Amino acid sequence: MLVYTINRLIQLIPVLLLVSIIVFSFVHFLPGDVIDVLAGEEEIEDPEVRAALEKEFGLDKPIYVQYLVWLGRVVQGNFGNSLVTRRPIALELFERIPATIYLALVSIGFAMVISIPLGTLASVKRNSLVDYTAQTTSLLGISIPEFWFAIMCILFFSLYLGWLPSSEYYSPTENLGKSLKHLVLPALAVGFRQAAYTTRLTRSSMLDEVHKEYVDTARSLGLPEWKVLYKYTLRNALIPTLTISGIQLYQLLGGTVVVETIFAWPGIGRAIFEAIVSRDFPLIQAGVLVLATFAVTINLLVDLMYRLLNPRVRLA
Amino acid sequence: MAQTLFRADENIDVALRAPTLGTYLRRWGSVTKDGIIELYKSKTAFIGAVMLLVLFVACIITPAIDRYSPVKQNYRALLQPPSAEHYFGTDRYGRDIWSRVLWGGRRLIVISLLAVGFGLVLGVPFGALSGYYGGWTDAIGMRLVDAWLAIPGLLLYLLIVTIAREWKFEGIYNDLTLIFALGIAYVPQVARLVRGSVLAEKEREYVEASRIIGESNLYTALRQILPNCMSPIIVHATVRLGLVLLIIAALSFLGLGSPPPTPDWGADLSLARDHMETRPLIAVFPGLAIAYAVLAFNLFGDGLRDILDPRLVDQ
Repeated sequence: MLVYTINRLIQLIPVLLLVSIIVFSFVHFLPGDVIDVLAGEEEIEDPEVRAALEKEFGLDKPIYVQYLVWLGRVVQGNFGNSLVTRRPIALELFERIPATIYLALVSIGFAMVISIPLGTLASVKRNSLVDYTAQTTSLLGISIPEFWFAIMCILFFSLYLGWLPSSEYYSPTENLGKSLKHLVLPALAVGFRQAAYTTRLTRSSMLDEVHKEYVDTARSLGLPEWKVLYKYTLRNALIPTLTISGIQLYQLLGGTVVVETIFAWPGIGRAIFEAIVSRDFPLIQAGVLVLATFAVTINLLVDLMYRLLNPRVRLA
Repeated sequence: MAQTLFRADENIDVALRAPTLGTYLRRWGSVTKDGIIELYKSKTAFIGAVMLLVLFVACIITPAIDRYSPVKQNYRALLQPPSAEHYFGTDRYGRDIWSRVLWGGRRLIVISLLAVGFGLVLGVPFGALSGYYGGWTDAIGMRLVDAWLAIPGLLLYLLIVTIAREWKFEGIYNDLTLIFALGIAYVPQVARLVRGSVLAEKEREYVEASRIIGESNLYTALRQILPNCMSPIIVHATVRLGLVLLIIAALSFLGLGSPPPTPDWGADLSLARDHMETRPLIAVFPGLAIAYAVLAFNLFGDGLRDILDPRLVDQ
């Protein structure tokens, strides 16, 4: 296990390097001089200022040196300054990360709490009313656009019933009750789709498992049915569900842009979206790099968890 | 039973005799016939197929059944409720929503078909060759795929769409960018899927046979192994078509999809947001259109999986 972990950590390096090359080249695909892109809206007319800036960004050197200089700074957490707020980008982004992680974790948690029992129940009572309801709802869940569902939630719960606030974010460390109240609708909007997806997955992997030989063996040994289903079958059936939940978590870190925009949620996805609108290119660059690094790390953790849960993979 | 499109023995058969047009036609004929029979057996696939048929027919005959130009504004008929004049009512510029939904669908379906096609064209050979050759080729190929997948999908589209916006792409170029962005993001997923199936498949006897009779590696990988790995890809691509529709809708909703006044379901929904409280019906039709199309692809994909995946059939 230790060897495997070290191996995977070493494999991370080329992946992260490739990601950084993709992100680095992003500004070079934009029209105009890189200096104009990085320095922002105001035209730099004075050739001396221009030269000084070019020197600062290292743009007078060949491209691979530029990349290395940039990478060196990024590794130290120096992403430069935002073109809009003129503050360090690292600061700008790290303020936004907790809100996104909070939303993503709660949504995934919500989705798992709903979907695992529902998926299991649907598979145990196959072709019953429960099964058909679960299947139809989850099929709808993965077919309707997230933002449409979000708007419908606002329309119904905040405008019509007036139960829940439709925007604003409060930190859970400051005021937990208020924070949770503001979290319900965004988490519902994000979690519904995830729940639909994992319900389908749990159901189908349960159905896959109950036809395996060990289940027959357990039954023929005379074990009670609940023990066969919940102690043996479910444990194996949950492996793919957990893996997918991990993948969903990393997709959510970058994929909640839409929901964050609708609910004015100050997360990192919305920060990147705002940067695109205001043409704050260094911030886009840094944001994507940070999220991708997160993604790779979570992916690795999921893989390790998968091996811990599944001795067959571990021993293979 | 069309569990896999081509069985191993057929492949050896075809490899030994030079394939003629007749062989191909007969093979595809029997595959099609099996397919239709299976379709009838699976309820899900059948409903999905019918829904897709309606969708495609509507897209094809759009010019015949639209009532107005989808972009023509009419200030004497703003925000009208559904009527015989305007089946789905009109939006805030007096544009006919029925026509906008139809033309928007026509455009979105073409874009998503091309985007998924593009991803398949690059991803399938990539994955097949990576899995077939193994070793260093595979290691490098898969690290590339990892890095590609590490960038969360939506961010990759945002990067590409941003570049396109800065270059001020318009009209067809804007659509091409969308196709490129969505296609390129699909490549690593396809590659990984195909590689997995090829790895499992390449230990089979017919592969050995193909090598023994002296076929080249490239021929064996692409013409012998690949056809046997098609089922999971077909299922995956069908579901992906629906997902692509959702992604385009989300991008348009954020104002990054296509510039107005292009008819676009996501952008129309975004516009309708301002009239949510007074005229909620405006948001209903583009929303239903997206849901219908995505549901159709998902149902058909689900049904196909039941048909093509032998493990789940008739349990």
